[in-house]
Amino acid sequence: MKRILLACSAGMSTSLLVTKMQEAAQTKGVECEIWAVAQDRAMKDMEKADVLLIGPQMRFMKRKFEKTAGEVGIPVDIIDPMAYGRVDGEAVLSKALDLIG
Amino acid sequence: MNKFMEVLENFLMPVADRLNNNRYLTALRDGFMVALPIIIFGSIFVVIANLPFLDALIGEDAYKEYQRVLGPASAGTLSIMATFVIVGIGYKLTEQYGGEAIYGGVTALAAFLILTPQVVDDVTGVISTESLGSKGMFVGIFTAFISAELYRYFVGKDLTIKMPSGVPGAVSRSFSALLPITFTLTIFLGIRILFLYTPFETVQNFIYTVVQAPLTALSSGLPATIVAVLMIQIFWFFGLHGQIIVNSVMDPIWYSLANENLDAFKAGEQLPHIVNKQFIDSFIVGMGGSGMTLAVIIGIFLIGKSRQLKELGKLGAPAGIFNVNEPIIFGLPIIMNPIVFIPWMLAPVIVTIITYGAMATGIVPPPTGVIVPWTTPTILNGAIATNSWQGGVLQAFNIGVVFLVWWPFLQVLDKRYYESEEEEETSGEIRQSS
Repeated sequence: MKRILLACSAGMSTSLLVTKMQEAAQTKGVECEIWAVAQDRAMKDMEKADVLLIGPQMRFMKRKFEKTAGEVGIPVDIIDPMAYGRVDGEAVLSKALDLIG
Repeated sequence: MNKFMEVLENFLMPVADRLNNNRYLTALRDGFMVALPIIIFGSIFVVIANLPFLDALIGEDAYKEYQRVLGPASAGTLSIMATFVIVGIGYKLTEQYGGEAIYGGVTALAAFLILTPQVVDDVTGVISTESLGSKGMFVGIFTAFISAELYRYFVGKDLTIKMPSGVPGAVSRSFSALLPITFTLTIFLGIRILFLYTPFETVQNFIYTVVQAPLTALSSGLPATIVAVLMIQIFWFFGLHGQIIVNSVMDPIWYSLANENLDAFKAGEQLPHIVNKQFIDSFIVGMGGSGMTLAVIIGIFLIGKSRQLKELGKLGAPAGIFNVNEPIIFGLPIIMNPIVFIPWMLAPVIVTIITYGAMATGIVPPPTGVIVPWTTPTILNGAIATNSWQGGVLQAFNIGVVFLVWWPFLQVLDKRYYESEEEEETSGEIRQSS
């Protein structure tokens, strides 16, 4: 079970991605738990996740997230802007899976 | 152009980083988030209690009674909004320091109440909701910052009452916050006593006269608002969440302005401010998201020929109705796209001027100060925010304006995409046939 956490300012736009990523995961046959939260919530939810992906508009928060993520021991990255704009669930999912390794 | 963009990006990123990671601004923003559900609850009941035309429908007396019974919903929430924000800030700041957050929250509230005048018209033992609401907002914010800092300082000094060894741990721990809180609140009592002997008499009076009133007066003007709107747009142009960055600085002011309007609205007086939280949230952001991209989506449906834009329109429309527009911002893309730079920067400024003008001349009433969630669809949110149909009509008009500003630029973009799609197709065909 891979646990993928997405974060943006209010968890709204990333939640669009969640649905698409779940669809992509189903087609691929990967068992995933994917959820989106607002940035302040992300700090707490990191403990339960295997990877954290940040919306590109919040990329200035990366440094702050990285600190906590380092403590919990999970990778953090920024979602590719084009994939974000196209709500490309498959691209973001494979990036997340790559990061988890 | 590229060099210029690079310089700007290099300047903006650190600004965004600093504003967003600043301890106090983060606590401020998160503190407002704590209060938000309560503020929205109160706002909903202000809207219900002031439904237009209801007085004509059920009669004057019944309407008064209706308003009277619904009154406590907003009086117990919106009118004393500062208290929730203070607890929120005290909590969040203490949490950042890794302390017992709930003590940080209540200590901030207690410190604020110690500073608050407790005499109204010679009646002692009462606190005016005025000082717990919009007028108390700034004192409250500073108090929460300072009290959380003091609390942390005294906790760090490891001031604990040593209990005999037979006392259970849970009991001795409950004393651990006692001394830090005592010292913190004593200092605030001292501050109150100091101000008693100045011409201002209270801290509230001092801050209100010296900081809050001049600052809000400045920020409610058209020039300052245009600057704020331009800042939001420029941050977004570089793919940074402009709204959240600018809000972290402006929210205390915009909320105060909204609350002053609300007090006047409930009292049936003229609304003092045109610009407030809802001016920004409903009339600038609440038209499809930052940059009013609902008009762009409409434009895509009307003139879009390229597959890429048409796909984007379908993808962006459902979210756009609820003012979530990241698909459009990143998908069009608007980010770093020189073709759309002009409409992106220009349209919100024009809309700001039109909206301000319409409200200043009285064609459309200013926002009453009720907080409408930013995800409320456009036209509806304008009508609710101003408690009038004119607010909705103004938004519809503004969408038309934004569309006109975007129109030529969108056509250029669409043509480019269309041509490259054609090219791809023909080259694909050639490859197939050969």
